Amino acid sequence: MKKIISAIATVALVVGTAVAVAPAANAACSGKLKIAYQGPLTGPEAALGINELNGVKFALKKFLAANKGANVDPTVYEVDDQGDPAVAGPIAPKVAAEECVVALVGPAYSGASKVSLPVYLSAGLSIITPSATNPTLPSFGKEIFHRAVLTDDYQGPAAARLIVSKNKNAKVFLVNDASDYAVGLQKTVDITLAGRVVGKDVTPTGTTDFTATIAKIKKSKATAVFYSGYFSQAAVFVKQLRDSGSKITFASGDGTLDDQFIKLARKAAEGALLTAPAIPMETASPKLAAEMVKAGWKPGVYTTESYDAANFFLDAIKAGNTTRASINKYVSTKSHKGLSKTLKFDAEGEVSGADVNGFIVKNGKLVLLGAIK
Amino acid sequence: MDFALLRDAFWGLTFDGLALGAIYALISLGYTLVYGVLRLINFAHSEVFMIGTFSALVASGIMGVKIEDDPRTGWGMVFTLLICLIAAMLASGITAVLVEIIAYRRLRQRGATKLATLISAIGVSISLVELFRIITDSLPREFPRIMDKTFLFSYAGADIRNDKVIVIIAAGLMMFALERFITKSRYGKGIRAVSMDESTSTLMGVNINKVITVTFLAGGMMAGAAAFFYILVYENTSFKVGFFLGISAFTAAVLGGIGNLKGALFGGFVLGILETYTSAVFGTAWKAVISFLILVLVLLIKPTGLFGESIQQARV
Repeated sequence: MKKIISAIATVALVVGTAVAVAPAANAACSGKLKIAYQGPLTGPEAALGINELNGVKFALKKFLAANKGANVDPTVYEVDDQGDPAVAGPIAPKVAAEECVVALVGPAYSGASKVSLPVYLSAGLSIITPSATNPTLPSFGKEIFHRAVLTDDYQGPAAARLIVSKNKNAKVFLVNDASDYAVGLQKTVDITLAGRVVGKDVTPTGTTDFTATIAKIKKSKATAVFYSGYFSQAAVFVKQLRDSGSKITFASGDGTLDDQFIKLARKAAEGALLTAPAIPMETASPKLAAEMVKAGWKPGVYTTESYDAANFFLDAIKAGNTTRASINKYVSTKSHKGLSKTLKFDAEGEVSGADVNGFIVKNGKLVLLGAIK
Repeated sequence: MDFALLRDAFWGLTFDGLALGAIYALISLGYTLVYGVLRLINFAHSEVFMIGTFSALVASGIMGVKIEDDPRTGWGMVFTLLICLIAAMLASGITAVLVEIIAYRRLRQRGATKLATLISAIGVSISLVELFRIITDSLPREFPRIMDKTFLFSYAGADIRNDKVIVIIAAGLMMFALERFITKSRYGKGIRAVSMDESTSTLMGVNINKVITVTFLAGGMMAGAAAFFYILVYENTSFKVGFFLGISAFTAAVLGGIGNLKGALFGGFVLGILETYTSAVFGTAWKAVISFLILVLVLLIKPTGLFGESIQQARV
C-alpha cells in the first residue's frame, strides 16, 4: 500500500516539477558536455545497472581516446534510480535541470521510465534505453524516446516459442511480480501460449514465501513455469520450487538474465531457460569484451546495448551537435552501426532488425542458445 | 477463487503455514514483551531480527561453510547449526539491549512522551536499515545450505520437510523456555511485576532498569532465533528483510492481544496459516488484503485481541 501511495505521490510530483524545469531545455551549457546513465546502481537490482553503466563508461573511454580534443566530460553522469519508480520520480527533474547533461542512456527499467519520460520530454533531453522493454513507453514521450532493443511484444512470444521448442507438450504456469515490466511481458507470453496456460499467480515484489504458488503449480500439473520479474526474487522462487521436489522447466525473461540469479539460486538455477532481446559482449565482439575486462569493467547483460546507445550519442556530438535538441534530432534521424545491431529508430523511437536470444543455465554458467526463431 | 486447492492441498498448506507462523510467533514475542513492560511498540524490533539473519550468515562463514559446499552431515552439521543459532540469538539480544539503552532509556528517565519514544524507535529502525544497505551494497545475500533438505514423510498429500519440522518444534521449545523463564525465574517475576505496576514494583525494590534490560534481551534473543530459522528455511536475507516480517509479526502480536505471551504465540501461528490459506484461495497478491481485513474484523469484535492485553492478566 505504502508503495502505491508513494507511486501516486511521485507521479503528482513529477507532473508538477516537469513544468518547473522546462526552461532547462533552452539553457546553454558553459562547461563540458555530459552523457548521463540512469538505472539501478544500488538496490537489489544493481547488478543490471552496473552492467549497463560499464558499457557507457567503456564507450566514453574509447571515444575520448580517439577524439582527444572533444568537449565531453570523461565521467559519466550517474543517475541511480534503484530501478524503482518511486525513487526515479524525484531524481528525474534534477537530471533535467543539469544544463550540461545533453543525452541520457537509460532508464534501465520500464516502471522508472514511465515516471522519468514526461520530465525529459519537457526538458528536451534525448534518451536511448538499452533495456526498458515495456511496449507502452513511446506514449510517454516518443519525441525524445529511443529504444535499442526489441520490446516485450517480441520477447514474450519468443520466450513462449523457446519453452515449446524444449518441451513439446508444455503446459505452462505463469507467475509475475506485479511490476510494470512483468505484467507487460507476461501478457504477451500468455497470448502466444494460448491454450497451453494451465494457471497463473501474482507474487508482488517482496514476497518471500511461495508455498501457495507452488501448491497451485503442482495441482495444475504444469510441465513448465514462466516467471516474469527480476532476478533477486526469481532466485528465491526457483529455489523454493526445487526444494518442494518439483523438477518442471523454469523459464524467465531478461529481468532474470543475470549472473546474480545463478549466484543466488545456485543449483536450483540449473537448466533454467532465459530470454533477452540482448546479445552478450563476448558474442558480439570477443575482442572488445576482452579489452573491457582489461580496463576493469566486466561486461554483462545489456552491456553491448548500452555501449551502442552511448556511441550513437557520441557520434552526434562528434558531428558537431552540442545542444539537447540537435543531439535528439541526430539520433532520431540518422543511424549508427553498433555491435548488437544497426540503430535506426522509427517515429515511435523503436528499433528494427534485431533478435531475441535464448539462454540456458548449464553448470553454473549462462550459455547462449542463439536467436529464437 | 480456488477453494478446491485449499481442499486438495489442505495439510500441505497447513504445515507450511505453521512453519511460517512459528517464525512470526518468535518475532512477535519481542513486540509483546516490550509492550507488556513499557507500553511501547519497539519499532526497531524488525531490525533486531534483520541483524540476527546477518549474524547467522557471518557465523556460518567463520565456521568455514562456503556457498558452493555440499550440505554437512552428522554432528558437524548439528554443531554448525547450533553455532549459527547462538550467534544470531546473541547478536539480536545484544542489539535489542543497546537499542533500549541508546534510544529509550534516557527518554524514559526524563519522562518523555510516548510519541517521542516512538519517533526515537522509528529513527533507530531507519538508521539500522540504511546502515545495512550501505554495508551490503543493497544486494541480497544468500545463506549456504548447511543441512540438506529432505522429505521425512508424506501425510495426506502433504510432503513434510525436515527443515520446517525443525522450525516448528524448535520454536515451540523456545517459547516453552521463555514461558518458564517469565513464570518461574526471579527476573521473570520482576517483568511481571513491572508490567502490572511500574511505580509500585520500584517501591518494592525491583531494579527497573535491570528488568527492562532483561526484557529487551529476551525479546531480542527470540528474534535472533526467528532470524536463524528464517534463514535456514529461506536461505537468503537482505537489509530490508525485517520490514515485511516485522509488520506481520507485529500484526500477530496485536491479533493475539499485545502484551500477552500466549497471544503472540497463537497470533503468530494463526497469521502464518491464514496467509498461506488466503494465498492459495485468492492468489498470493491478495494475501495481505485478506489477512489484514481479518485482523480489522477481529479487532472490531474484540479490541484487546484474542487473548486480552497484558502479561499479568493472562498469567502466561
